[in-house]
Amino acid sequence: MFEWLALKISELALRVKAGLIMLRGINDFINDYPLDEILLKAIKGKEGVYPFGELASYGAAILGAPINRRSYPRFLTIDDLILVPPAFTPRRLEKMAELLREPVFTDVNLETNIGGLKSSMPLVVASMGSTDIASRYSIVIAKAAAEEGIPYGIGENVHTVRGYDKRLTHGHPSFKERVMAYLTNIDKYGGVFIQQNVEDAYDEHWNKVYSDKDLEPYINEGRIAFEIKIGQGAKPGLGGVIRMRREEAVKVKEKYHFLEDPEKTSRKEVERYSVPGTYTADILRGMIRLMRTSYPRAKVWVKVGPYRDVLDVIKVSYEEGADAVIIDGKEGGTGMAPSVAMKELGYPTIVGLIKIRRARLMGINEKVSLMIAGRLFNGAHIAKSRALGATAIYAGRPFIVAAMAKGEVGVRNLIEATRVETQMVVSALGKYDVKDLSPEDVASLNKDLASALGIPYVYSSEY
Amino acid sequence: MSKVHPAVLEFEKMVKDRESYVKFIDEWVKYSWKWARESKYVTVFKIQASILHAIREYLDSQGFTEVLPPIIGPVTDPGIRGAKQATVDFYGHEYKVMSSAILYKQYMAAVLGKIYFISPNIRLEPNDSVFTGRHLVEFFQVDLEILNGTLDDAMNVAEGLFMYVTRYIRDTHGKDLEKMGRDLPHYKTPFNRYTHAEAVELVNKLGCSNPRNTEILWECEKVLSAHHDSPIFIYEYPKGSRGFYNREDPSKPGYLRDFDMLYPEGFGESISGGEREYEPVKVIARIREAGEDPNKYRWFLEMLKDFYPLKTAGFGIGVERLTRYICGLRAVWEARPYPKVAGVGPAP
Repeated sequence: MFEWLALKISELALRVKAGLIMLRGINDFINDYPLDEILLKAIKGKEGVYPFGELASYGAAILGAPINRRSYPRFLTIDDLILVPPAFTPRRLEKMAELLREPVFTDVNLETNIGGLKSSMPLVVASMGSTDIASRYSIVIAKAAAEEGIPYGIGENVHTVRGYDKRLTHGHPSFKERVMAYLTNIDKYGGVFIQQNVEDAYDEHWNKVYSDKDLEPYINEGRIAFEIKIGQGAKPGLGGVIRMRREEAVKVKEKYHFLEDPEKTSRKEVERYSVPGTYTADILRGMIRLMRTSYPRAKVWVKVGPYRDVLDVIKVSYEEGADAVIIDGKEGGTGMAPSVAMKELGYPTIVGLIKIRRARLMGINEKVSLMIAGRLFNGAHIAKSRALGATAIYAGRPFIVAAMAKGEVGVRNLIEATRVETQMVVSALGKYDVKDLSPEDVASLNKDLASALGIPYVYSSEY
Repeated sequence: MSKVHPAVLEFEKMVKDRESYVKFIDEWVKYSWKWARESKYVTVFKIQASILHAIREYLDSQGFTEVLPPIIGPVTDPGIRGAKQATVDFYGHEYKVMSSAILYKQYMAAVLGKIYFISPNIRLEPNDSVFTGRHLVEFFQVDLEILNGTLDDAMNVAEGLFMYVTRYIRDTHGKDLEKMGRDLPHYKTPFNRYTHAEAVELVNKLGCSNPRNTEILWECEKVLSAHHDSPIFIYEYPKGSRGFYNREDPSKPGYLRDFDMLYPEGFGESISGGEREYEPVKVIARIREAGEDPNKYRWFLEMLKDFYPLKTAGFGIGVERLTRYICGLRAVWEARPYPKVAGVGPAP
C-alpha cells in the first residue's frame, strides 16, 4: 500500500516535471539570455544605458560594479575581458585642440565601412531567415535598422519559403517586402546583405535579385551584398530543418530532400532538411570568383560557423577579394538547432575573436572586414571586438527581443542606446574615433585568454 | 596601334547620355517593324542569312553533323554571368528554357562524333546589360562539340570558321558591305593566342587596369580588341570565373582548358569554348562553386558516368554578334529582328 503511494507520488512528480520541461524553450531563454539589459534599452532608449528602474533613479540610486555572476558559465565569454581606460589621454588633447573645448562622448565618430557598406556604427543586423519569429518581426527590424543606418541581413530560405515577391504564407512578408522595407528607408548609411543556400540557388535567388528592376538603383549605389553561408554558430556542420505543409511539400518534392515522401505520408506536416552545403578551399575560392564575375556591383560576404579551420576560410576569402567574413560563435542564435549541436558543436564566440586577432596579426588587413557574432549585444562588446581586430559585431536576437518588447521604436531605442554606450566607452579610453581602438584598450580577467589574445592579465604583478 | 570601329564609337556616344539612350532603346525594341524595312536592315538580314548558310557549309565540309537542339530541359547552362534563367511549368516539373544548350551537346557528340546546333537561347540579363551593346535576352548561337577534341582543335575550328564566313560574305555581298561602308580588314592567320595571364599583362600595358585572376573587364576587352586587326584568342582562364563544365588543366591546377575569341576593332567577345570536365567528382565540386546541389544535374552526371570518359571540346558563337561584327553595326539590337533587351517590354 505504502509502496503504491510512493510510486504514485514519484509518477506525479515526474509528470509535473515533464510539464515544466515542455515550457523549457522560453524558460531557458528567459533565465539565460541577458534580457534585463536589452529590454531596458529597448524600452527606455539611450536612458537605458544606466541601470535605473522605476524605483531607483538618478539621485535615489547607489550603484557600483557587480562582482557576482548569475551562474558559473561553462566557457569563457567576451565578458572575461575588460576595457582599461588610461589616466593620460594624449588623443583627447588632440581632439580638444581640434574642437577648442573639452571633448565629450558624443564627439566620438562611429562611422564604419563594413564589408563595403557604409554604416553609422560598427553593428549589423544578422541575416535572419524564414522561421516564424524572424519572419514576423523582420519588417519592423528592417525599418529601424534602415533609419539608424546600420546594415541589415536577409537569411536563407526566405525566397523559397515565404516567396520572392508574392506571399507564399499567410501573415509572413515575402523576400521583396523585407528588402524594400529596408532599402526605401535608408539615407546616407546602410546596405543589405542577402544569403542564398542550396535551395535558394535552385530558385536562382541571387540572379533574381541582381536582375530585379526595383533593386537596380540600390545595386548601382553599392548597397547590396551577397552573403555566402558556411554554417552557423548554433549548429556548425549541420543544415536547417523546416516544417512544411504536406501540399506545399508535394509541389517542391523534386527540389528538396524529405525524409519521408510527402506524397505517401499521412501526416499534415513534413520535415524538410536543408543540407549544410559542401565546401572545400577550392570550392569557396571558385564561388567567390564566380560571384565577383557574375555580380560585379555586389559585395561578397562570407559567414562561417565556429570551425577549427576558420583561419583558412579567412585566408581564401581575403585572397579572392571577399569584402567581409563573419565568424558566428557557439552562442549564436538560431530558430532551430538540435540540443546536442548547441551544447557540443563548435567553440565559443570569444575563440572566434581570438581567430580574428590572429588573422590580423598574420597580415589580413582592413580590405576585408572581419565580424564576430554570438551573444554580442552592447557597446562594450563592440569596443572590445574592435580593439582586437574585428570590424563590427553581428547580432540577431537582441533586435527580435527589442521588437517584441516595443516594436520598431524598441529596435531603434536599442540601437540608439548601443550607439551612446559605445561612444561612452570609446571616449573613456581617451579616443574619439572607433577606428583608433587597439589591443592596449583591453585586458583579461583570465590568464589563458590573456595569452591567447596577447593582452595583459589584470591579476598579475606585471600589470 | 589602336583602332575602334566608328560604329562602336557611335554606340559609346549614345550610352553616355543614359537617359536619352534608355528612351531610344525603348522605342527601338517596341517598334522594331518601323526600322526593319529600311534598306540598311534589309541588307543586314540578307547578310545574316548568308552567314548562317556559310556556317553550315563550312561545318558540314569539316565532317560536322547538324543536330536539332533542345529548347527546354530540367537544367540549363548556369555559367551565364549573373543572368537569370527562364522557367516553364512542364506538367508539374520545373523546366528551364535553354540559356545555352551546352550540357546537351556532349551526348550527341558521343553519338555522332562532331556535331553542331543552331540554337535559340534565353538569358534574362541584369538591367545594366542594355548599356553594353552586346547583350540580347533572346539570341541564337552556333554551338558545336567535337568528340575527343582538344582546346587547340576547338580554336582551329573557330579560326577556320571565321575565315570561311568572312571570305564568303566578302565574295557574295561585296557591294552590300561597300554600301554600308563596311571595310572588313584583311586578317592574318594564325590569330594571336594569348594566355589569360598574358592578356591581362598586355591590357595593363595598354593602360587598362585589369586585376589578375578575374575575367577581362568589358572596358579592357575593348582595348584589347581595338589593339588588333585580326581576331585573337585568350585561353587558360583562371578557375572560378567560368561554368562548371570547363575542364581544369591537370598539369596546371587553378587554370582551365578554355578560351574566348575576341573580334578586332573594339567589337569584343565572340566565342567561348574549351575542353569539358569529364571526371564526375570534379564536376560535382565545381557545381558547388555556384552554391548548387548536384542533385539538380543528376541526369547529366549519370550520363557522364555512362559515357565515361566523355572527352569533348567545343564552343559557341553568337549569331547576332557575328552579324554585328561583319556588318559593322552599333550594337546587337541592330543585328536581328525582334530584338529583346534587359528590362524593356512588352515588345514583339
